[in-house]
Amino acid sequence: MTDNHTQQIRDLVRKDSVHRDLYVNPEVFELEMDRIWSKAWIFVGHDSQVPKAGDFYATEIGREPVIMVRQTNGEVRVLHNRCAHKGAKLTGRSQGNCKGFRCAYHGWTYKLDGRLAGVPARKGYDGTPFDMKDPKFSLRPVAQADSYRGFVFATLDPHAPPLPEFLDDAAATLDNIADRAPEGEVEVAGPPLRYLHNCNWKMFVENLNDAMHPMVAHASVGNAARRYMEEQPEGTVYPPEAEIIFPFGSSYEFFDKMKITALPNGHAYMGGEVSIHSDYSDVPGYMDAMVKAYGEDRTKKILSQNRHNTIFYPSFTAKDAVQAVRVCRPIAVDKTMIESWHFRLKGAPEQMLKRTILYSRLINSNASMVGPDDWDCYTRIQEGLASDAKVWLDASRGLGQEEDTGAGRRKSFGTSDLSYRNQIGAWLQYMTSEVAA
Amino acid sequence: MTAQKKHAAPDLATIEDFLYREADCLDRVDLDAWFQLYTEDGTYWMPVSPDQQSPETEISIFYDDRLLMEIRRRNFGDEWAASMDYDVRCSHLIGNIRYAPEGGPADGWRVLSNFQAAIYYRGTTTFYAGRYTHDLVSTADGLKIRHKRVDLLNCDSAELGSIMIYL
Repeated sequence: MTDNHTQQIRDLVRKDSVHRDLYVNPEVFELEMDRIWSKAWIFVGHDSQVPKAGDFYATEIGREPVIMVRQTNGEVRVLHNRCAHKGAKLTGRSQGNCKGFRCAYHGWTYKLDGRLAGVPARKGYDGTPFDMKDPKFSLRPVAQADSYRGFVFATLDPHAPPLPEFLDDAAATLDNIADRAPEGEVEVAGPPLRYLHNCNWKMFVENLNDAMHPMVAHASVGNAARRYMEEQPEGTVYPPEAEIIFPFGSSYEFFDKMKITALPNGHAYMGGEVSIHSDYSDVPGYMDAMVKAYGEDRTKKILSQNRHNTIFYPSFTAKDAVQAVRVCRPIAVDKTMIESWHFRLKGAPEQMLKRTILYSRLINSNASMVGPDDWDCYTRIQEGLASDAKVWLDASRGLGQEEDTGAGRRKSFGTSDLSYRNQIGAWLQYMTSEVAA
Repeated sequence: MTAQKKHAAPDLATIEDFLYREADCLDRVDLDAWFQLYTEDGTYWMPVSPDQQSPETEISIFYDDRLLMEIRRRNFGDEWAASMDYDVRCSHLIGNIRYAPEGGPADGWRVLSNFQAAIYYRGTTTFYAGRYTHDLVSTADGLKIRHKRVDLLNCDSAELGSIMIYL
């Protein structure tokens, strides 16, 4: 224990393969909660979820319950969702509006910024160390919170580098989501879709840049759609559903051309100039609104960025061209909550949001004909890794074929395991960094 | 105001019989028979929040029109799909069937009911419960569903995994 398991952890990762303990060992999961989920910047929410003073949204950073709350001065703060008295969570609801927080147990009250406002029968504390002004009797803010284009992240590590440094070029995905709005801003549209996964959190995140699975795992829905369309009278116009479903069956060559770009801190994105979202039809009125807001050149530049999935390791993934994001919340070594959130492009025709929603319903929903096939594959891995027959997972595709593009960034063909190895590299970095005593 | 409708409102026994037929299609996992109970413009909606207003501008668990019903019944049981490598078995119970006090199609009727459904999948039986809202119309082929809304009790909960079949 004296070496903080550092050597044991190093032994779990080889250049071309990864030990199953990363996915099935509860002790590894516990260490991840401390060393990754308490150190990295974790996605909390979008500031449009709390538009008015007193609006709050409760979620978790790793295992830590937190509240994102809008202040009277417009600022968004992230506080630990824990009463300073006995530790009870201050809100049982995931969202709402309040003038301040009041603990449901003994009635301690707090201002929106977390400062203690009152305790019942305070006289009883006379002559004790209790002090209304002592921060330890107030709600603790998380170590650092910041937002980028409205996307709020927080970290429990006071020494974590600033958010923009953490995001690196993944930030350009968030820029692009916001820039695709004629008003340069997005807002959350409706509640999220929650989908419980019976797998380790890393399987989900790793899959988002796995370009070797769509043509296999998602072949059936494409075939079903194709069979149906072939039965239709000649000249039948393909519906938007087909535009969304068919690219999932694209060839290995197509995905290779999409390229994969690995960034520092485990982040990565697929695509860039082309992706499986490139060939969507124009929505009437959208181009006009964009050109009016940005001019032709800038509009063209914004719409030419087309990243399929950007991974913000470890907690967040985003599709810029679709304005849909997924949030990864680990619960146990084999349990992970995935939330899908959707964004309205301010100033764009409502049809754009309808396409975002249609996309997510067809692909991400618990009842879609795509998500459950991924879900099943993750579950199969989780179940299969119980086998002692082979304890190493292969990560070798494209090894040695990546191109160093400088500043810690690397590029390779789309179906390479580069993003997988990049995530495992970041994992190892977090897990073996000096742990504060 | 049923007076304006072309047909007299069916009695509740007829409605009940029709809803049981729909549940039976699902219990037999017969999507080819099930989708024929819907009109050409029929839709099936399962929202993610109890008071959800729109299936188009907010995410839903299901929102299928004829096209998606057609794709789904062709996809169902496809041996290429990992998720379809298991038996799906269902048992539905429907009760508290009554006419809705308001709403519904101008040429038909809105019927409310409560349901409980047990779905066996991947070695586990999952229990679902909630409320059905059926918008029904009378056609030459008998009653058809114009729109069905399924409000799950736990639509926004953190416990829903894959839902493999309409409820």
